[in-house]
Amino acid sequence: MREMNFTVTSKTITDTAVLYPRGYLNNIAGESLVRECNAYIEKGIKKMVVNLGGIEFINSIGISLLLSVIERLNNCGGTLCLTNISTSYNETFEMLGLTKYMLVFKSEEEALKHLNAAGGK
Amino acid sequence: MPFNSIPAKDFINRERELAYLKLLTEVRDRAIADNILLQGPRGIGKTELLKQFYRTVFWEEKKVLPFYYSFQKATLKASYFAKDYLTRFVRQYLAYVKKNPSFIDSMGTPLVGLMPDFSSLRLDWLINLIEDFQSLLKDGDTYEQILAAISAPVTTARESGMPVIIMLDDFPMAAHLYETNQGDAPGLMSLFEGPMKTSICPHVLTGSPDGLLESIFADNAFRGKAERMFIKELPEDAAQTLFGSLCDKLGVRNDREASLSFVRLLEGNPLYIRNMAKAIWKMNKKEISEKDLWEGYGFEVSEGETAFYWSSVLGEFLADPGLLKVAVDLLMHMTKSGSRSNDFPRLSRVLGIPESSLRSAFDGLKMAGIVQGTGDAGPLRDGVLKDFIQSRYMRDTEGKSPERVRELIGAKYYPVRDAGASFAMTIPMVPDAELVVAKAFEQIGKNIRMDPEVVKQIQLALIESCINAFEHSGSYEKEVFIKVTTSRTRLEIVTESPGKFFDPEKAEEPDIEEKLHAENKRGWGLRLMKKIMDEVKVERMGDNTRVILIKNIASDEVLK
Repeated sequence: MREMNFTVTSKTITDTAVLYPRGYLNNIAGESLVRECNAYIEKGIKKMVVNLGGIEFINSIGISLLLSVIERLNNCGGTLCLTNISTSYNETFEMLGLTKYMLVFKSEEEALKHLNAAGGK
Repeated sequence: MPFNSIPAKDFINRERELAYLKLLTEVRDRAIADNILLQGPRGIGKTELLKQFYRTVFWEEKKVLPFYYSFQKATLKASYFAKDYLTRFVRQYLAYVKKNPSFIDSMGTPLVGLMPDFSSLRLDWLINLIEDFQSLLKDGDTYEQILAAISAPVTTARESGMPVIIMLDDFPMAAHLYETNQGDAPGLMSLFEGPMKTSICPHVLTGSPDGLLESIFADNAFRGKAERMFIKELPEDAAQTLFGSLCDKLGVRNDREASLSFVRLLEGNPLYIRNMAKAIWKMNKKEISEKDLWEGYGFEVSEGETAFYWSSVLGEFLADPGLLKVAVDLLMHMTKSGSRSNDFPRLSRVLGIPESSLRSAFDGLKMAGIVQGTGDAGPLRDGVLKDFIQSRYMRDTEGKSPERVRELIGAKYYPVRDAGASFAMTIPMVPDAELVVAKAFEQIGKNIRMDPEVVKQIQLALIESCINAFEHSGSYEKEVFIKVTTSRTRLEIVTESPGKFFDPEKAEEPDIEEKLHAENKRGWGLRLMKKIMDEVKVERMGDNTRVILIKNIASDEVLK
């Protein structure tokens, strides 16, 4: 049941990893997202775009695991961008203060354009 | 036009303010300051108070001349302004002396056409004043023209021996006077300081709190010569009385009980109350039900006079339709997210709007007094303005039809026809069981026509409530009982399970900065529930813990 509720796929575009979590972002799902991000960081990729378009539900544990990704990227001078986020989740992230530590874009293309223009970081 | 005001008997609950302003007419040994600044939000009645004061002085005072001037965007060019200001002053002077208001309205007749009247009244000094001004017009020196126009009431007071009470409506607009291009003469407003320092010409100014005005009134020369009067919203009983009396006058039978929450939403704003009474009258119904009130409200804020009023205010400062749309999107975002920051780079990314457009739109909103001038934008507090913005957003950004917009705004406050419904279920404490409840709530949300985005947020709170029950359960009974109750104005979700009690008041508030570096990054559940819902209560029921989540639908997003 748990596997059915969450999947994460990813790809790299030049020096950026783009991740596509789908389903319910809870503890188990959040951990697999963290693992996926960590694997890229270990390979030296510091720019991450997480496309949340496929996220149906999210809970507070999933949110705390997103914080882990932010912390890890902050420590290595990386950047986390969220894209395709629903209005209500964006509002929730704003309410909790998360948007101060990551960049939110309407689309994946806009995030990639920004990261590309930002250069090294 | 100063006489374009409501009848004095309908001007309720401002008697104290009016009586205080009347003290200005006692120029000698005046107990109050020479200049008064009337402050308060738009629509609260500052202009109306000024007009009522004008009318009182015009008819009741024999030796005090009232002069009313309303700043308009169309006459902010210095040369136009000077001519307009002087013309209106001279006409109002003549109207006062002859006790004939029709002189005020006949703006079509040039000033020279009034010369025979001035001659017959032996007002040689006034004739000289006009002739001097005509020469300045020929010279083309706008600075001298504006100075001459602004000084005309002072000259009149000195020559006639009659004090002139100068009433300047929407005075902050004077900061935007310009010579050739907008912004090329920011100091012209300071020319008003001269007349304001003259005790024979007390000024009454209207305006919203503004840094520019504050700086003028902080000037040493004004200390003791200027004071502020805050015009507050009508108290609830006065607002109800005004609405009731307007309905009576318009022949609309209105149930006071039914209109209580309706009038409360108008927040004691006389402009809104009058507009809404007229909107209901336009529905052409003899008896008005609560549902009719909200339908009328939906029309009024999206297409009626209130919508027209706010469209005019926005249009005045955001003339470009593209920029106006950006402003609406920005306000909508601020309202929905409760965002209090002007972080334009971030807003640009989130909204997909160029930063420069956001800055221009923000400046326009600032000039219109809709957002604060400081770095803190703040969410909109005026519920009616919020609904107007939402209606514009639905129409211009979401492409909804006017009928649909009207219906959605009205339905926000009168959402369902039935008295309410309850849905109950019991779920096992197994992984992801909370999703079953979340999915069920999605359908409940559809049934009561709740905005899907609001449904999504409530689902988040509901999931948290279930997870909380799973984690705190110390019982062998591995079940959670959930009950969702909906009514027209309220949504209540009860989650009950056996387990340890926890006091939400004692729970630690998570700090994002600390959590970011802490090993344990969890602990956001209660914060999420509190942020999303209007009320979160935790009760002990025997061995069970009951968490109650409440959302007031009336103050929420539009129900669809």
